[in-house]
Amino acid sequence: MDEQIHFVVQLRRRKTSPRKTPIRTFLKSQLHQLTYTLIHIFFGIVVRLVQSYHAVVDRVFAIVYYHHRTPELIRKDVKNLDRLPEHLSVILSLRQEEDSLTILMDEVAELAAWSVSAGIPVLSVYEKSGVLKSCIPTLHRIVTNKLSAYYGSPSQQPTLRLFAPHHPVYQPQDSHSTEKTNTDSLTVLLLSATDGRETFVDLTKTLAEMSQNGKLSPEDITMELVDAEISEITTQPSQTALPTAAGNKTISIPDVSVKPEPDLLLVFRPFLKLDGYPPWHIRLTEMYCTGDKSNSITGYGEAVEYQGFLRGLWHYAGAQMRFGR
Amino acid sequence: MATSMHLSKLRKWFLASPPIEMAISKLRELLIGAIRQGPVPQHIAFVMDGNRRFARTHGIETVEGHNLGFEALARILEVCYRSGVKVVTIYAFSIENFKRSKFEVDALMEMARVKLSQMAQHGEILDRYGAKVRVLGRLDLLRPDVLKAVNRAMEMTSNNGDRVLNICFPYTSRDEITSAIRDTVADYSQPLRPRSSSLRTPFSESHIALNIQARNQNTNPEDTSSDIESTSESSAQGEEGAAKHDRPNKVYETGSAFSSSTTLDLAGHQDSTNLKKATQGASAESENPAYLSPETITRQTLSDHLHTKDNPPLDLLIRTSGVERLSDFMLWQCDEDTDIVFLDVLWPEFDLWHFLPVLLGWQRRVSKSRKNPDAEGDFDGDAVGSNGLSDQVLSPSAKVKDL
Repeated sequence: MDEQIHFVVQLRRRKTSPRKTPIRTFLKSQLHQLTYTLIHIFFGIVVRLVQSYHAVVDRVFAIVYYHHRTPELIRKDVKNLDRLPEHLSVILSLRQEEDSLTILMDEVAELAAWSVSAGIPVLSVYEKSGVLKSCIPTLHRIVTNKLSAYYGSPSQQPTLRLFAPHHPVYQPQDSHSTEKTNTDSLTVLLLSATDGRETFVDLTKTLAEMSQNGKLSPEDITMELVDAEISEITTQPSQTALPTAAGNKTISIPDVSVKPEPDLLLVFRPFLKLDGYPPWHIRLTEMYCTGDKSNSITGYGEAVEYQGFLRGLWHYAGAQMRFGR
Repeated sequence: MATSMHLSKLRKWFLASPPIEMAISKLRELLIGAIRQGPVPQHIAFVMDGNRRFARTHGIETVEGHNLGFEALARILEVCYRSGVKVVTIYAFSIENFKRSKFEVDALMEMARVKLSQMAQHGEILDRYGAKVRVLGRLDLLRPDVLKAVNRAMEMTSNNGDRVLNICFPYTSRDEITSAIRDTVADYSQPLRPRSSSLRTPFSESHIALNIQARNQNTNPEDTSSDIESTSESSAQGEEGAAKHDRPNKVYETGSAFSSSTTLDLAGHQDSTNLKKATQGASAESENPAYLSPETITRQTLSDHLHTKDNPPLDLLIRTSGVERLSDFMLWQCDEDTDIVFLDVLWPEFDLWHFLPVLLGWQRRVSKSRKNPDAEGDFDGDAVGSNGLSDQVLSPSAKVKDL
């Protein structure tokens, strides 16, 4: 352990230097430093052992539970759960590599397929930079491709809607989508850091302006008002009608109803950090972190894996729900 | 069941025996001293969950469970303040908790009243570590006698040092955010004082204008005035144009008409009339009030209106009893860079032994991210850990002084 040698060298050098503080205090501080070093070495070893153990367990899970791109299998995996989230939210992060955006979109597509197979109607995806919002049509195509790998032909696929705050719902209508045999639907909501605290800033600006023009008094600002305004952003997509892909008739979809508060938040990172997630709606959200697996065995710690998704759902079903703490 | 009771009694007796007790307290001291050597979170928040369940599983009264919870709090506060944490925020009572049975709410209120006065009067922990008590939340929902105890506790500890104990008493985070928005809006709808343009700076614009005019008249027009003239003319047109356009927005720019009409008049003989006009204009404008522009509102503005405005950012949020929800606590504060930790231990049982791994994990992550701010995820644990340490080892003199 060369840090100890290093440490001892440090210690010697320091002993020779003149010191006015009493020797006892000095020794005590050295003892504390030594303890700190030792604890952290020990703790590091324990953490690594635990990580390796979890990595092995994860591999076993990943073998035992694999979806084989079959919605029926996924449904079977969650069949015995007492409850399922109506609104699942995930925190994903953009990696450092070159094709990070492709990986991210693929992760979103996988999650969308798993969610709709498990019977979760709403999936919101938080990615800090908001890069996903700028490529909604591409993302829609990728998710549709993924769904066709799971479900087969378009008529058997569930309906997919994609939207982001301040964006219209993206749901291109195919010419031959008249009779769908699959009645399931999935709404994917894309969130980014600008939908978090920044929204409150915008709201406050508007309210301040109204107040300055005498249209509102500060006493009118209640929790209900703020809640209604903030919820509207994530539940009501902009009502601008958008031209469909096939015929150029315009559709407006007013019936998109998204439950604004997610029931379960899955964090695909080594530890639980919200990283700018919109704060208002996570009041009663269960949080589940897929855990610290930054380990050489698995390669990627933060990979979005089916077994992590499934464990989150199990965890959620086992939790005891109590309002007001 | 009986054997486990006996075992726990034996364990208690063993732990309470003098030599063991002394050894444990020495060990605690050593561990806390060791924690101090690394980075220490400046602000920790606790959700003290599990008092009721502890009472239920141990067959004692709910109120007794809350009492044991208070003892656990005292232990943890000691650990926190001794290891260098500046601010501890605890979630004592949610606004939602008023929905619980009247009996329990009354008992909790009574306990809060008694404990607050006890803490303020002879609170060893608060005095020894110089901690101020601050009660955050909707104080207007409290009973008058509890409110009196709250105010007294805050007053009596207000002269203590720089450590803070925030007690979120009837608190929810949504309520806090809403009142932050409301207060911000109220601030921004306070009209600035009339003739604010002259208050913003100690210099008077008319005086500057006169000076420029005087200088322009004194200097020889041939060498300097040409470019001054051109710039001032162009800006005059610009400002006049703007003035025409911006009638409704005028409130933010009371001084503009004033300055344009005074500075830009190079022909000296119109001085007096123009100045008069300008002052008239200014006084006319001061009648409809001037406001701060709402565009200057930022996230920081809102953060500055929260209850936790004076505190360092929240580093660590710990919730006990295995419930993995924030329950309307610190939603805004823990949004950015806070480690959220859910522990599967009931609050009355919570002690240094549960707290230590959390602190160590935090120290590991912090020294890791300080070394390599980009990659949070994968790193080589032990090597980085020791690198983080060597920084600490290299600056022992500061540490010694601390002690």
